[in-house]
Amino acid sequence: MADIRFVLNGKEETYTGSLSDRLLDVLRDVYRCTSVKCGCKEGECGACSVLIDGTLYNSCCVAMGAVEGSSIVTMESFRETKRFEALEKAFGELSAVQCGFCIPGMVLAAEALLSKNPHPTEDEIRDGLSGNLCRCTGYNAIVNAVNNAAKEGNGLW
Amino acid sequence: MVNGYIARSLTEALKIRAEKDVVPYAGGTDLMVENRKDVEYLFINKVPELKKISVDDEYVRIGAGVTFTEALENNDVPKLMKEAVSRIAAPAIRNAGTFGGNLGNGSAKADSVLIEFVTDSKLCLASEKGERIVDVDKFYLGRKKLDLKSDELIKEILIPKKGIDNYSYEKVGGRNALAISRISFAGVFGTENGRIVKAAAAFGAVSDTVLRFKDIEEKLIGKTIDEAKAYKDEYLKAYAERMVLTRGRVSAEYRKSVCMNLLKEFLTKNGI
Repeated sequence: MADIRFVLNGKEETYTGSLSDRLLDVLRDVYRCTSVKCGCKEGECGACSVLIDGTLYNSCCVAMGAVEGSSIVTMESFRETKRFEALEKAFGELSAVQCGFCIPGMVLAAEALLSKNPHPTEDEIRDGLSGNLCRCTGYNAIVNAVNNAAKEGNGLW
Repeated sequence: MVNGYIARSLTEALKIRAEKDVVPYAGGTDLMVENRKDVEYLFINKVPELKKISVDDEYVRIGAGVTFTEALENNDVPKLMKEAVSRIAAPAIRNAGTFGGNLGNGSAKADSVLIEFVTDSKLCLASEKGERIVDVDKFYLGRKKLDLKSDELIKEILIPKKGIDNYSYEKVGGRNALAISRISFAGVFGTENGRIVKAAAAFGAVSDTVLRFKDIEEKLIGKTIDEAKAYKDEYLKAYAERMVLTRGRVSAEYRKSVCMNLLKEFLTKNGI
């Protein structure tokens, strides 16, 4: 067994399981990051989205061997940030959350988008969230929430 | 049990590739869907030599480990390739998926591979013994069958710089995002002094490999647009005869109709 060293939500960790284990399973089962949802295990739904070195990935499609030396952020630490506050407020005000299962992924996809493009157009928001499926809201409320967060959180991104 | 190897340089990766029975892991987006437990991965996702995009006199050279997002953000990657790559899946998959992985997975649905076929791109394959350059259409021996030896890794994709500006690209999928191509088409057209010098047409996702019929294309070369118009029916008939398509998520008949429509549109767009 190899030791895989990485940073999870700001804390250094060493994983001693298999290099081929799914990041999604390890995050949930070993590190109890249960904000990371398992929806499809084939990169189709985005519920397991995480940030690796600041970039959005589907954690179901990442093996542990790929994250050696990387820094991973899940909602467990992102929810402590000012940026999350702005997103939370906008999502709440626009009722962009119904069952909530897709929301951790949606929020991290929004963060990834706004980090690269702080003032996105509606089309850019839709493209940024296009890998994240929501079966409740019909998307418009979520798109509007990200738009509002970008405007009201001006300067945070 | 050893469960894989993490390579930090191309030299190290090629050494492991030569010594062990490993599956190269670049982006993981296909491999992790299969999630086979009986293989050992060679992690090449952080090998710096595979992550470069460079330009020489003839080619734009894209490292096999370059992700689709990285290509979209690069100014040297040809527009046609960017257009195809921008339609792949969704941001998180484009952040992970690589050019080498798209090739190595061996599917005729691979959207970047279609562009490599239509542009006559070449591949640089590396092993500890050295490098060799192969034409992309020679690299594909059949469905999931590649001309890649067990000690080799795909190192670079060489896309010709010139003559690919006038192109057509269409992807037919079941939805806008996260769509696997049901049919994809790419065409490159060019004339010089009023005569056709290029009329490349490639069809993806409709057979075991990307389809391209260079002998039919040849018939248009040297013709004027008017001569090509007169030849159009015969040309289309030749394609219709040669295009024996497989059934996939959609029927072979549907695929063929769409392919022929896209081909006709390609001709019309170029005045034929």
